[in-house]
Amino acid sequence: MLWACLLLPSLPLDVFARAASPADAAKPFAVGSGGRTPRIVSANASARATGIHPGQLVSAALALAPDLLLCDRDPGAESAALAAVASWATQFTPTVALAPPDAVLAEIGGSLRLFGGLPQLMARLARGVLDLGYAARFALAPTSAAALLFARAETAEGRRRSGESRAGLDFSGTSARENGGSRKVEPDPVFLASMPEPPTWLDALLPLPLCLTEADPAAIATLAAAGITTFGQACALPRAALARRVGADFVTLLDRVRGLIPDPRPPFVPPPRYTGKLDLPAPVASVEALAFAVNRLVLELAGWLTGRGLGVTGMSLVLAHERYVRVATGVPATTVGFALAVPAREPAHLVAVLRERLARVVLSAPVEAITLMSKATAPLASRNLGLLPGDEAVATVPLLDRLRARLGEDAVTLVAPHAEHRPERAWRDGKIGDRPRSPGTTEAACKTWSVPRPVWLLAEPEPLGHRLEAQPWVLRDGPERIESGWWDGADVRRDYFVAENPRGETVWIYRDHRFGIDGGEWFLHGVFA
Amino acid sequence: MNSSLAAVLSNPAIWRGGDCAPEPAALPSGFPALDAVLPGRGWPGAALTEIVLEREGIGEIRLTLPALARLQAQGHDVVWIAPPHVPYAPALAAAGLDLARLFIVHCRSPADQLWAYEQALRAPECGAAFAWLGPHDDRTMRRLAVAAREGRTWGVLWRRPGQRAIAATASLRLALAPQEGRLAVRVLKRRGGDLAQPVLVDVDAGGGNLPPLPDSRTSAGRALTSGRLHSRHVLPT
Repeated sequence: MLWACLLLPSLPLDVFARAASPADAAKPFAVGSGGRTPRIVSANASARATGIHPGQLVSAALALAPDLLLCDRDPGAESAALAAVASWATQFTPTVALAPPDAVLAEIGGSLRLFGGLPQLMARLARGVLDLGYAARFALAPTSAAALLFARAETAEGRRRSGESRAGLDFSGTSARENGGSRKVEPDPVFLASMPEPPTWLDALLPLPLCLTEADPAAIATLAAAGITTFGQACALPRAALARRVGADFVTLLDRVRGLIPDPRPPFVPPPRYTGKLDLPAPVASVEALAFAVNRLVLELAGWLTGRGLGVTGMSLVLAHERYVRVATGVPATTVGFALAVPAREPAHLVAVLRERLARVVLSAPVEAITLMSKATAPLASRNLGLLPGDEAVATVPLLDRLRARLGEDAVTLVAPHAEHRPERAWRDGKIGDRPRSPGTTEAACKTWSVPRPVWLLAEPEPLGHRLEAQPWVLRDGPERIESGWWDGADVRRDYFVAENPRGETVWIYRDHRFGIDGGEWFLHGVFA
Repeated sequence: MNSSLAAVLSNPAIWRGGDCAPEPAALPSGFPALDAVLPGRGWPGAALTEIVLEREGIGEIRLTLPALARLQAQGHDVVWIAPPHVPYAPALAAAGLDLARLFIVHCRSPADQLWAYEQALRAPECGAAFAWLGPHDDRTMRRLAVAAREGRTWGVLWRRPGQRAIAATASLRLALAPQEGRLAVRVLKRRGGDLAQPVLVDVDAGGGNLPPLPDSRTSAGRALTSGRLHSRHVLPT
């Protein structure tokens, strides 16, 4: 068992800052706690550069940076974001658990082989979380509680609370940090050598502070009053006495962290339908500027689809307009629907379809928030990996999806034969998504057509009228009598001929006999192209 | 021929008068008379072809159907962009096309047609793309030619009667006209080689799956049941 803990230390900030493009990230932005004496909960890099730190009064922060953008903390959005990250993480492993308020635990021991080893898997996790828009810290341990403890100890907050610097010991994996407005991943060189093995990791647990564990705060306070502040000191105490003093739960927790007893966590179940909402930092009036935010949501959707083994065939993007527009004009949101020909879950494919479709959308008012929902999904088997390097096919957006997204769903059609004598009804629009026929069935279709049929059919039969009188036409085949359709009012009684007109073109003409044999009108119905 | 001489002559850097340029991705057209005059013995599989029609209804589409059927059998898709009339499904199915792999695109504006055609030419899963476009300039045509080459797609630009030819940079240009009840193919441009002689192609015999029309000039014809015509019959006016 190898547990990875994904800690999101600046989650209160990231739920707002996710939608901001890198250009906006250069502006100072902080999240306040709200209430009577609001304090800063989290601040981004440019705000921290001006001297703002968590715990400060908001008034002091505003004095330091007058152009600071401020938002109130949104715990609902934070728990939703944590659930979204957990459902994104289900693409790497089925065993995911939440550790609120800011961590996700994933058991990756079983996935190492599929993803090509521990460094590759951790790199993909780190890059993926960064692409989703969150700053993250990772830690690995054989038990979930220990991984959580390591991750919490590695954050600056943990270091501050434990009162000591932890330069020498590093069990965290790749950590994603902001860097002057642009986010890039910096893998720690210690990481590749820090695969935890017993008993080394147990020794690493000992100096960690108890206040970072999930234990009851009253128990921690009692022990702190007695001078017991670190994990090692708590483990050294006699178990029975400790249980009597602070409760059996505390002792169970110590055992769970060390892996002496199992630590079952309620598994996280991804939702049956995906809904991802993103509030934009400023109202956006043009569709191109939405691309960055839409990209983030598409990555979440792709992770959710991979985790559940599905492909999406129908999505809907709701662009919510500003509140005053909603009230004044009564148009709450613009809904954009997408349909895909075959189920898909590659992020590049979904983004390409969305981009083509969004290029056709005209916004009636600036957009404040976007919501991406999956409407229709279908099971999608995984791609087979090639044995040799170079076997994997390049993932391209199928031509059909691109054409339909840009030109409209009805712009691309198929034709299919229909069993009907009347020629104008002997064909119909085919359904896109029909599996191509096997070669055997083509032969069967050939056998039924022993009569000549033109390649082009005119949409409406053209009366020939005066053209016949000019020069004689040559009939090459016929007459073929088609008499049908008495039951639905569109009855026909026609004699079809294959004729060559004086210009040398071979056409399909008929004489209409509905009103008697003599004097029927001649019509042009098809061209033998 | 001397074997060493043959070895020297097979060097691709040597061109003999009368040879065509090598065409690596040639699609056999199914008509031996036509293949004889095409470079590589077939349609250019990764380039643009322009076909100028003097008349419609002379067998121009039937000329291309065997090659399309072969492409579809290999798993490629075929895209037709803005065809002038409705493609009649029974006739195409009888000719051997897989209708589940034939996509017909209708566009509202010439710019959309051009975009769709370029996308089809670039797509790897698309084997052939036919387009009936309006007038466009030379730069656009060169861009389409590059797209066909990169996407390895057989692109055909059809010029209907009365439309001006636009793709002077296409690698193959043909002019089709009716002659003696058969299709006369004049090669206006082909890569390398000298001027080809016009060829008469019988699109109904052997190439496609449409039953051959009884031709009054040849003795071969279908067995006709009573009540049907069996000779040239002039239409009563």
